[in-house]
Formats: sequence, structure tokens, C-alpha cells
Amino acid sequence: MREMNENEIAFIGKITAGVTHEINNALASIKEISGLMEDIISMSSGDSFPHQEKFLKALPKIREQVQRSVTLTTQLNKFSHLSDEFSAQVELNDFIEHLIFLTQRFARIKNVELQYQPADQALSFNTNPIQLQMAIYNCITYFLNHSTDGGIVSIHPNINGEQNTIHISFKGEVVDKSKLFNDSSSAEELLILQDVISSQDGSAEFDGPAQSIKLNFKTQQE
Amino acid sequence: MDDYRVLIVDDEEELVTTIAERLQIRGIQAEIATDGETALKMIEENPPQVVVLDVMMPGIGGIEILKRMKLQNLQIPVILLTGYGSTEQGMEGMREGAFDYLMKPCDLNILISKIQEAVQNL
Repeated sequence: MREMNENEIAFIGKITAGVTHEINNALASIKEISGLMEDIISMSSGDSFPHQEKFLKALPKIREQVQRSVTLTTQLNKFSHLSDEFSAQVELNDFIEHLIFLTQRFARIKNVELQYQPADQALSFNTNPIQLQMAIYNCITYFLNHSTDGGIVSIHPNINGEQNTIHISFKGEVVDKSKLFNDSSSAEELLILQDVISSQDGSAEFDGPAQSIKLNFKTQQE
Repeated sequence: MDDYRVLIVDDEEELVTTIAERLQIRGIQAEIATDGETALKMIEENPPQVVVLDVMMPGIGGIEILKRMKLQNLQIPVILLTGYGSTEQGMEGMREGAFDYLMKPCDLNILISKIQEAVQNL
């Protein structure tokens, strides 16, 4: 697969951001129209409006789904803005929480739970936001692809001296434990991870028996 | 509740019409404009007590309307509606003298309470 250049990534980000704005406007209209229907039905007497109760029960469900959609598009919009700058200050706790939201669906398909343990303090540093998201995402998907079915992927950021660390571990059964991290020359996730990590001047430590990956990034990147 | 008028300005016609209708059901006189130029004309000709402005509109956006109102010394409280990533614009609007800002889609009851707060501050 051909690698995308910075301009192409920025282009995708801009288009996605614009479309999410439009979706949000459509959702706002749906929300208000369903609210108006509820207002009108509430003003009618039960005799003049057959099945009034059923309508009044159904309309809040539309609002709930609108709210769900707004949350999804808000997160997607936030993701699209990652490509605005190729070096930006990120706060790891918020950053990982956002990524977990975006990857929930992939985990759910494998019956895997994503658990996040935030650090006690804010962990801000300058990095390439897209590459950092890709690094963590590829660690998560590596475990998802090796799990038999079910389990827990835990993600825990921390600070260790002059390094920010992200500890990603998997509790659960893997297809072949002896092969875990021994496929680094063939597993696509690990190839991408190594590529991203080296471009970020970071490092990755793999621990097969513990089923864990530790990513290290300098707190002050040059 | 019905002794003041609110002007709601948003280029999303369906949205702004529906919000106005819902406000009217609750006894609030609401007028609408779907572009900045029309809004400015309405504000100059028959000033409402509160203006609700979408920040992002084609042509004259909400912040620009706010600035022009300020230039004309129109002391009308403005509530801004902002979209994703435009919290900064909401803050900019506050610096320009907006009464408050809300994220779209906003809850109607919250909008009404902001409108009432703005009217009480007149």
C-alpha cells in the first residue's frame, strides 16, 4: 500500500471536518423537528390524537439516537482535526481516551474490552498527533488480531523521567502465545508501529509472556 | 414572557424555522433570518430584545454581525451558536461582547434560559 503524504492526509482531514459539520446541522434539525412533533402531540387531547401515548414514547428515542450520532460525529470531527498540524501539543490522557472511543467498535467485534487507566497527572508533549494515534491503534489491533475471542486490552500512560510511556497490555487468550511478537517482520501492525515509533524518535518494548507493549516517547521532542 | 422578541439567525432554514416555532409555542415571540445581511437589516429596522446568531454562515457570519452591531452601538444581547471546533470563535464572540455562546445542537430549554437571562440583564 502506498504511503500518503502530508498534503493528502490534510485533505482527507479537511473534507471529513466539513462533512461532520454538515451532518451536525442535519442532526440539529432532526432534534428540533422531533421536539416540535412532541410539543404538538402533547398539546392535543388523547381523543383527538390516536396512539398519542405511543408517539410520546417513541419521540424521545429519536432524540436519544440523535444524541448518540452527535457524540459520534463530534469525535470524528475531533479526529479529522488531528491532521491540521503535523506537530502539536497533545495531552496523553485526553488523547488516549479519544482513541479508545474511536476503536471501541473494533474491540467489540472481538468481544474485547478496552480499559483505560489515566495517569495521575497531565502528560503534555509535542508530537505528530496522527502518528501517535497510529502507534497506539496498531498496538490495540495487534492484540485484537491475536486474541481468540474476548479479553481486556488495558492502556495506561505514565511519565518516567524524561519519557512519556504508554503501556498497552492484553489479558486473555491468544491464538499462539509462542508467536506473540515473534512475527514483527510480517505482522502489519508491528511494521507500521516500528515505522511510526522510529520517525517519532521513540522506542517500543515488547514482552511476550506479559502480553504487553510499552511505548516510550521523549517528553521534549526536538 | 411574550413582551419581548427574539431574532434567530442561522442559514439552516429548517432548523431556524423549527426553533422559532417551538419558542412561539412557549410564548416567546421569535423571528428568523437565514443570512447575515437580512439579519442586520431586521436588527436596524426593528431591534429585537435578544439575537441568537449562528457563528458559521455563508457571507456575513455571526461574529461579523456582532462587530457591526457594536459599531452601530446597538446594545442588544447576543447568544452565539457554535459548531465543532469553533469554541474559539465562541470565545472571540465573548470578547466582542456576546452575552453567551452555546454549542449546536443545543437543548431548547437551555437556549430559553439563556434568552431569559439576557432579557433580565437588559
